[in-house]
Amino acid sequence: MSEPKRLHPAAVIFRMINILKNLIYVVGAAVIASFGNDFFVYVAFGIVALILFFVVTSVIEWLRFRYSVVDDELRIEQGLLIRKKRYISKNRIQSIDLTQGVIHRLLNLTKVQIETAGSDMSADASLSAVTFEEGQALRQELKWHNGVVQTDESQEESEVIYPKSNVTTKRLIIAGSTSGSVGVILGLFIVFLNEIERFLPGNIYEGAVSWALAQAISMLIALVVIILIILWLLGILGTVIKYGNFEITRYDDELYITRGLLEKKQVTIPLKRIQAVGMKESMIRQPLGFATLYVEIAGGEAGPNSNGRTFIFPILRRKEVEPFLNKILPEYQTLPRDFKGVPNRAFPYYLLRAMFLPSVILIVTLIFAMDLWYIPMILIVMAISLAWLRTKSAGYHIDEEHLTLTMREFSKDTVMMKHNRVQSTQLRQTLLHRKQNLATVRASLLNNFAGRHVSIRELDFEDAKRISDWYSLRKRIFK
Amino acid sequence: MREAPKHRIAEDAIKAWRLSAALVMVIPWILVIASFFLFHFIDVPYWYSIVALVVLVVLTYLFVVLVPKIRWRRWRYELFEQEIYIQHGILVVSRTLVPMIRVQHVDTKQGPILKRYKLSNLTISTAATVHEIPALPEQEAAELRDQISELAKVDEDDV
Repeated sequence: MSEPKRLHPAAVIFRMINILKNLIYVVGAAVIASFGNDFFVYVAFGIVALILFFVVTSVIEWLRFRYSVVDDELRIEQGLLIRKKRYISKNRIQSIDLTQGVIHRLLNLTKVQIETAGSDMSADASLSAVTFEEGQALRQELKWHNGVVQTDESQEESEVIYPKSNVTTKRLIIAGSTSGSVGVILGLFIVFLNEIERFLPGNIYEGAVSWALAQAISMLIALVVIILIILWLLGILGTVIKYGNFEITRYDDELYITRGLLEKKQVTIPLKRIQAVGMKESMIRQPLGFATLYVEIAGGEAGPNSNGRTFIFPILRRKEVEPFLNKILPEYQTLPRDFKGVPNRAFPYYLLRAMFLPSVILIVTLIFAMDLWYIPMILIVMAISLAWLRTKSAGYHIDEEHLTLTMREFSKDTVMMKHNRVQSTQLRQTLLHRKQNLATVRASLLNNFAGRHVSIRELDFEDAKRISDWYSLRKRIFK
Repeated sequence: MREAPKHRIAEDAIKAWRLSAALVMVIPWILVIASFFLFHFIDVPYWYSIVALVVLVVLTYLFVVLVPKIRWRRWRYELFEQEIYIQHGILVVSRTLVPMIRVQHVDTKQGPILKRYKLSNLTISTAATVHEIPALPEQEAAELRDQISELAKVDEDDV
């Protein structure tokens, strides 16, 4: 693959679609504004000229865009007026993702996105359309540590069966129906019902007019309920489409994920880039015994709502987590279950933090809407139980190689990190903490979202010191 | 991590911090003094200005006299072959460990105030965090910077 290649001609179409997407508002506004008056002819003419112009530039851009793999480097040359050349060394590549949208799939094409460690949000190199086989070949070629025993590879491939894991559609439906948005919807629904109850009695005694109004209100309730149910079903559908056919495969030095029903996505996660493994148990899923597994990776494209995390399994039972890790990621298979928690004297701190917002709301409500006092009271009860849950959830576990911290915001989050993946640790104490022999520990990780800080608040000071002793290289060497 | 780090930062740091805090405080002082004149003309009771003055005196004492001193007293650092150990904080004391192999780059920085006292700030960046050792004597900061960047050259681990 040494001579420079062009993208598949369909790249022109994708480029056009992109441009049109950006232009549609401007063009639409111009059309609406000029519709029916004398300028319309000129506007139409202008639009046609503009589209022609973009067709020509897209074609030229396509002609100018060339890529090749030379000397372990991916070389991309592009640019219409400003010529741009980008060489990406193979061992700097963090991940190679193949994505197939609907059009891609019709034409058996794929989009290739190549990421390096830089923490910019967009892909570092992106080939918008190459044939699927070509994409696979590129991926194969740009992976690390290949080419050394090229001849044996075909034999090995057939002998070694790499561990795989799939997710069933039933599970995905569970995942969709217990996803975070359900909580928000339910919350809104409850608030809404509350409000309605307050309104109803006031309206009924008014007679015929208010009867109609009440009818309207019950219609409204029915409508809202229907909309909520539809939203919920859409959420399930969304999850099923996004994670349908999810399959994760463990190769020697990388994880390989394929997913998606409509848009197919293939993600490669080199093991070397994994900074931590996390398990998230949301408030809805935890009681049902379900969890989600993700990894923090350095570099790569940050999804709009993924917090820079990459799911390595969308949903599985808590008791299946260990077997799964054992099969797919044995490096992290020791995900502990027994955590050393925070002492009970930490509870007041957790309570104070959780109570802050509800207290403000209570005070505001008492001042402005006395008779609604019970709404913030419900919030306060919730805050107290949340604080209690948080105190009970927080904890740590250390073994020779890993530090595992577990904590709760709303969802319970367990993060397991290797010693050499922690960027720094911090131990914090206020004056009060010092009197009570408490300390907050914070471990900083690298991810593609400018770093993540995992902290356990108000640990016993002895435990906090244990963690920083575990982290201190000096202590490790002299031990 | 039982004992605090050994080294303190330059004692002149207190002076430098006091100077910069004082410079910041100039603006509210001007405002309060101006308010005495202004209120005289627009007939607002002096009472407001006096309260503001008292608050300002307390704040000035806190930020110009007390805080720099406590901050200096808390600030400690120690350099080991494998890691950097930093302690700082006023009410919240934090102790940070940064392993040498995680250090990406070290900077020294010096503003006009620090320059006056021949001090500079040392900034240590890892891939995920930034740590600062402030107000070191110029010479020492430069030496530390070179030393850290030398020690940080340990074998290239990923990221």
